[in-house]
Amino acid sequence: MQFISKANLFKLLDALRADYDVYVPVKKGKQRFYKKYERPTDDITIGEVRAFEPLKAFFSFAREVVAKGFKPDVPGADRKPFAIVGVKACDLKGFKIQDHVFKNHDYKDPFYIKNREQNLIITSDCTLAIETCFCTALGIKPHPQENFDINLSETRGGFVAEAGSEKGRALTKKHASLFQEARSGIDEDVAERRDRVVKEVENNVKENDVPHQDLYKGMVEKKFESDIWEDEAKACVECGACNTICPTCHCFLLYDQKDKGKMERLRMWDSCMIKDFARVAGGANPRAKLQQRLRNRFEKKFDYFPNVAETYACTGCGRCISACPAKIDIRKVLKRLVGNAS
Amino acid sequence: MHHNENPYRPIEAKVLEVRTETPTIKTIKFKPVEPISFETGQFVEITIPGLGEAPFTPSSRPDVKDTMEVTVMKVGKVTEKVHELKVGDTIGVRGPFGNGYPMDHFKGKELLIVGGGCGLAPIRSLVYEVFSRLGDFKKVFYRGGCKTPSEFLYKKEIDGWIAKKDINIKLTVDKGEEGWDGNVGVVTTILDGIDMDFSQGIAVVCGPPIAMKFSTQKLLSLGFKDENIYLSMEKNMSCGIGKCGHCRIGTYYACKDGPVFTYDKIKNFHEIWA
Ligand code: SF4
Ligand code: SF4
Ligand code: FES
Repeated sequence: MQFISKANLFKLLDALRADYDVYVPVKKGKQRFYKKYERPTDDITIGEVRAFEPLKAFFSFAREVVAKGFKPDVPGADRKPFAIVGVKACDLKGFKIQDHVFKNHDYKDPFYIKNREQNLIITSDCTLAIETCFCTALGIKPHPQENFDINLSETRGGFVAEAGSEKGRALTKKHASLFQEARSGIDEDVAERRDRVVKEVENNVKENDVPHQDLYKGMVEKKFESDIWEDEAKACVECGACNTICPTCHCFLLYDQKDKGKMERLRMWDSCMIKDFARVAGGANPRAKLQQRLRNRFEKKFDYFPNVAETYACTGCGRCISACPAKIDIRKVLKRLVGNAS
Repeated sequence: MHHNENPYRPIEAKVLEVRTETPTIKTIKFKPVEPISFETGQFVEITIPGLGEAPFTPSSRPDVKDTMEVTVMKVGKVTEKVHELKVGDTIGVRGPFGNGYPMDHFKGKELLIVGGGCGLAPIRSLVYEVFSRLGDFKKVFYRGGCKTPSEFLYKKEIDGWIAKKDINIKLTVDKGEEGWDGNVGVVTTILDGIDMDFSQGIAVVCGPPIAMKFSTQKLLSLGFKDENIYLSMEKNMSCGIGKCGHCRIGTYYACKDGPVFTYDKIKNFHEIWA
């Protein structure tokens, strides 16, 4: 088992800057945000919980140029890849959906695939849970178990480092002098802390009465005509925050602009909560009502994706709960959907 | 799909011809710099450079590979600009996308084509495909509806088709005009009395959602099997490749799993006719 001290981790990040744009979570007030790493600072917070932004921001950008005129090449191909540090277990689940859409089926998306191949993912265990965390209801443990290059488990003075991919193993080898053999007993420390955080999340789940995913099958269909939707949608202001902040939402808008006579095509994250999302040019709109769009959001997450990708499109990260100005709470909606009342 | 390493970039095309069909409908013929072949029923995205894209089902013959035609009703910002196009203008085209009609699967069958609401654009391409392989089918019927006689698209061409007698054609309008001696009523009113074995026949339905809904119900009552009714679903297509999420219909994305679906595939979904 390998250990890396905090000081040496920063040395590793310094070295990574040669090949990557390195991003680390920093704490501001009560939130954590990704910031480009330049040098060690006190606000860098590797453990704790997820950052404000979803991980997808590093894989299919909020706004990016996808075509320049009629040129067949892929814009941005020469951009430096990202090394994203402090990624949490719930964020990794987002890949199950994003990979399905952009990488694994029928047509490939060259932008996403490049980022997926080239970006470096350094995950970390959650060292605490916040009120909105409910990952365990979605079958996720708050410490990464797969799909990372290197995982860091915080412990006294530094981190237990585990390489989870060829890329990760090559890196730990290349920078072997920064790592040392972990002292004995360290794995018990880590296991104990992991157990404690799992319990914290489980307590959240219990307190908020969040149903476990084993109970989700068919729930949207069963409640399709229920007044849950109208009731829950009442306060919605159609801001789209729940979609843009969601690690699994992948929908985007294509739009063109002309800049100095040159034509560019861009794509931008889009939201199915917005009125015209499904409207056709002729005017027909299958989801003209807000409650239909809220229902569609849940249908997509809890009916469509389990059908096509064998997974619910929710990670339990709780971002939509914190982001919604109308205080619409996915945990409560899940509870109502699973419950016996209509 | 056409070979294109960047699925979002359009292929340059030159406008060769602009024909005014009705006051609100024009047909644009264009030539892409790289030939694009399509199957009838598939769609393409047309780019007005700098303004944006919109989806269209080509109305031209699929066996013509170096040029293509789209028939466009003025309904939105892109289609408005399409109406302003002149010969020699540059546009872009992406595609073709999705699944067209499985023509080979129709071999040896009786075929009924139903087009409501003047929505003949995709059907024109299909009719030409049918003409190019007439021997394949036992019988072919075409039943078309439109609001008024003067709004019928490709009037001259249809007269030519009628004269050829290879396809049994009957038309109807919601509201007659002087000189119209045909049927008056919605398209379902001319679906009776067709001499075919409905239980074995293939139906292809095209048009606005409401016309498709009622046509489908009528076809079912005549005895067509769910899996033999082919519907061309109009959804909000944008990327064309199952990524942008705008065109979902139940467990499918209409852009890549459709736009042509058999009724059995989608009948249990919500919001299909909206
Ligand atoms: S939801 Fe779970 S994995 Fe995500 S930040 Fe909270 S505790 Fe960590
Ligand atoms: S974040 Fe809340 S208010 Fe905004 S669109 Fe989503 S549900 Fe509606
Ligand atoms: S048009 Fe983008 S997913 Fe179908």
